[in-house]
Amino acid sequence: MDCREFQDKHFIFVDDTLPGIELVRMQMHIGECETCARHDTMVRRSLMLFRSLQPIEPSADFSEKLQRRLREAKAADAASGPVSSRSFATAVAATSVVMLGYIGMSLRQVDTQPDLTLPPVVATLPEGFTDAVTSPAPAMVASVPAGLPIWTAALFAEQAHAHFVSADLTLIAATR
Amino acid sequence: MASIVRKQAIPIQGATVREQLRAMDDSAVVTAFLGGEERAFSELVERYQTRLLNFVYRTIGDREKAEDLVQEVFIRVYRHLHRFDRSKKFSTWAYTIASNLAKNELRNRSRSPLVLFQTVQKNWQDDDRPLQFEDSTSRPDDMYRKRHLREIVEESVAKLPEHHRNVFILRELEGKSYEEIAEITDCNLGTVKSRLNRARNSFAEIVAPYME
Repeated sequence: MDCREFQDKHFIFVDDTLPGIELVRMQMHIGECETCARHDTMVRRSLMLFRSLQPIEPSADFSEKLQRRLREAKAADAASGPVSSRSFATAVAATSVVMLGYIGMSLRQVDTQPDLTLPPVVATLPEGFTDAVTSPAPAMVASVPAGLPIWTAALFAEQAHAHFVSADLTLIAATR
Repeated sequence: MASIVRKQAIPIQGATVREQLRAMDDSAVVTAFLGGEERAFSELVERYQTRLLNFVYRTIGDREKAEDLVQEVFIRVYRHLHRFDRSKKFSTWAYTIASNLAKNELRNRSRSPLVLFQTVQKNWQDDDRPLQFEDSTSRPDDMYRKRHLREIVEESVAKLPEHHRNVFILRELEGKSYEEIAEITDCNLGTVKSRLNRARNSFAEIVAPYME
C-alpha cells in the first residue's frame, strides 16, 4: 500500500468499517510510514476532541415558546385555511371572467372593424395603352430568346409611355 | 392543523400514555400522532429537540438563532407530518428540514452584513458569560485550559466550508450513516465520503497546533 491509497481509505479506516484484509494493510502501512502514522494520530485526536464537546441543552423557555408558536400557527391556519381556498376560487373565477371578456372584445373588434374606404379613382387611359401592355412589341419579342443586355432597355423603351400614365394615375389618386 | 388528516385517536389507555409513547419507535409515534394522539408530538419534540439544537448550533454558531430554527423545524413537522413518507426514517426527515433551515440562515447571513455583525456581537457576549460546561470542582487553570480548548474546537469547526461542516457534524456529532447523510444533504454517497474525508483532514490540520 502506498500513501495515496492510505489517504483515500483513511476515513473508512477511522470509521472502522474496512474489511479485515484492508484493515491489516492499513495497519501495516502505519507501521512502515511515519508521515501517515502521524496523520492518523492527528485525525483521531482531533475527532476525539470534537466528540468530547459538551452538548448544549435547550433553554428553559424552549417548550413554552414552541407551544406558543404552535398555537399561533394553528390559529393562523384555522383562520386562513378555508378563507384562502374560497378567495382562491373567487380569484380564479374573476380572472376567467376578465379573460373571457377580453377575448370577446377582441373578437368583436375584429368582426366590426370597418373596411378602409378609399376615394374612387377617376382616370382615363390614354390611347394605345392596352395594346402596349398586352401585345409585346416586335423589339421585345426579338430580344427574349437572344437574352442580350439590350432586352431590358428595349422593354422600357416600348413601355415608357405606359409607365408615365401609371405615374399620372398614382398622382391623381394621391391628390384626391 | 386543518390540513392534517385526522383519524380516530388511537386508544392508549390510562395514565401511562407517555410511557407507552416513550417505549415506541419513531415510526409508531408518528402513526399515533397522525391517528389523533396529540401527545405523540410532544414525544417527538422531547426526542429530537436537543439533538437538532446541537446540530443546528454547531452548523450556524448562534445559539439563540439555533433555538428559533429548531422550533421552526417542529412547526414544519407538525404541519406536514401527514405528507411524510413513512417508509423512510423520521429522524432523517427532521434533520433534512433542520439542515435546509440552517443552510438558508447561513445564506441569508452572507447576504446581510447586519446579521453578520449581530452574530459577531453575540459571540462577544458569549465570552462574557460564566463558564458553563466545565466541572466547577476543577482547578481554575484546568478550567481555563478546557474552556480555551472548547473555543478553539468551535472556532475550528466554524472555519470549515459550509458543505464540509454539515457532513462533518452529522457524522461526528450525530453519528449518522453515510447513506443518511447523503439523504439529508441531498448529495450522492461519493460526495459525502469525499467531503467527510476532506472535512476531517482540514479540521485536524486547524486544531493540530493547539494540541501539541
